[in-house]
Amino acid sequence: MDKLASLLHTTPAIAWMVLKVVIVFAGVMSLAAIFTWVERRGSAMIQDRIGPNRAALFGKIRIIGLAQILADGIKMFFKEDLIPAAANRGLFFLAPFLAFVPALLGFAVIPFGKSFVSGGTTYHLSVLDPGNGMGMLYPLAIGGMAVYGVLVAAWSSNNKWSILGGMRSSAAMVSYEIGMSLAVVSIFMTAGGYDPAEIIKAQGHQPWTWNIVRQPLGFIVFFTCMFAETNRLPFDFAEGESEIVAGFNTEFGSMKYSLMALAEYSHMMTASALIATLYFGGWQVPFVKDPSVLLSVACFVVKLVFFAWVFVWIRWTVPRFRYDQLMKLGWKRMLPLSMVNLVFHAWRMSQGH
Amino acid sequence: MFITFALITLLGALGMLLQKNVIVAGLFMVAAFFGVAGLFVLLANPVAAALQIIVYTGAIMVLVLFVIMMLNSHEEEKAQSSRPVQRWVSVALVAALAFGAVKLVLASPGLKALAQSGAATPEAMTLQKVGVTLFADHLLGFEVAGLLLLAAMIGAVALTKRNL
Repeated sequence: MDKLASLLHTTPAIAWMVLKVVIVFAGVMSLAAIFTWVERRGSAMIQDRIGPNRAALFGKIRIIGLAQILADGIKMFFKEDLIPAAANRGLFFLAPFLAFVPALLGFAVIPFGKSFVSGGTTYHLSVLDPGNGMGMLYPLAIGGMAVYGVLVAAWSSNNKWSILGGMRSSAAMVSYEIGMSLAVVSIFMTAGGYDPAEIIKAQGHQPWTWNIVRQPLGFIVFFTCMFAETNRLPFDFAEGESEIVAGFNTEFGSMKYSLMALAEYSHMMTASALIATLYFGGWQVPFVKDPSVLLSVACFVVKLVFFAWVFVWIRWTVPRFRYDQLMKLGWKRMLPLSMVNLVFHAWRMSQGH
Repeated sequence: MFITFALITLLGALGMLLQKNVIVAGLFMVAAFFGVAGLFVLLANPVAAALQIIVYTGAIMVLVLFVIMMLNSHEEEKAQSSRPVQRWVSVALVAALAFGAVKLVLASPGLKALAQSGAATPEAMTLQKVGVTLFADHLLGFEVAGLLLLAAMIGAVALTKRNL
């Protein structure tokens, strides 16, 4: 690291920071891109079809259709960039970025591997080092910003379907945020800290001491709320293909649509990372007390990919909810459940276990 | 860093005032909130920054924009007649408020502590400290605020849902 830094005329700290940012964001973005393909292959698998397996590099190397991602990207780039005549042009341009940036930013605080010491300095494997004072409040705050992408996209395209989608999804996101925050608060309480590093450390390396076993109720609430937050089926009220055309991104085409789609998948990655960190021990390897750095990173990536797959799996298995059912579930089931979870853990802590 | 965040805050606030379109004005206000959150981080209070974004931009502004979108008119209405007296009274009031605020800040003990060399730098705020302060030092105020919000919520429900 020192050698590389001196070659680039920077300090090791800056070089490490740049490296981390590139690794995290490039990693999340490419995972998101791969999952656009995994989603189609997965849906095909579940529905007993074949799915996209034809695209091939140079017409020869087929690699089970993975080149589909590249083909889609090229197609999106060369499509005509249409802007509706009555749209608010500035906001119409801004909307895809407002959707995409928060989806990526949320990942910044999550540790994706064990910290290690090299040459007397400790290197942390998360873009924001532990002890930054924001901790898990940061992904909650950034997650709240995701609403603006949908709202601005919906309003700026000046289309009735869009505005319906935007309204429904913003109402759903705000309602589910409350249940989600309460579930996270009970984790803060039992872990005795709100930094992701502390939460991971408090969970230990045995699978039966992870928060999924300690707080199964909280997990159910958090997991459900993540589907509402990412606007994925069964809660895809922003899009609602069967009722409001394509909802908030009806008017978006070409690269703008592509960014919107990538934002959804990046959001899915961040959500899976949050689930893994809060309830499944983060980078901890089951049954291994002191894993090597590479093993811990690999374990985190496996957990991340697994939960991202669960998102795909559920989308193609569970039927959609109706809007009033979604609201009823959010306010009358999830909120009381997470309150019960919070009070129960507070009571248990007051009894000193 | 301070200049950047201060500029974001001021330009956001100015944009909000000058923008005729209510939704764009709301988005400018979000930018101003972000600037304020950045200033909180510079003041070694990341918790306040996070709460600022969660509460104001993540919840309150979303609901405000939501209500504006429900209404059909997105343009500010023209005033029927110019009201010079009210305008000057409001300018005078704002000036008095600003003067009082600046005076309060300049007279605060924190500022005097900054001038002393070798004074202990304040520690960064954490969520634990916020909790202890709320439940130990300001318990009464905290509970009263909670009760007030609950009353407001029940009032809103009672007003909108006549037959429960």
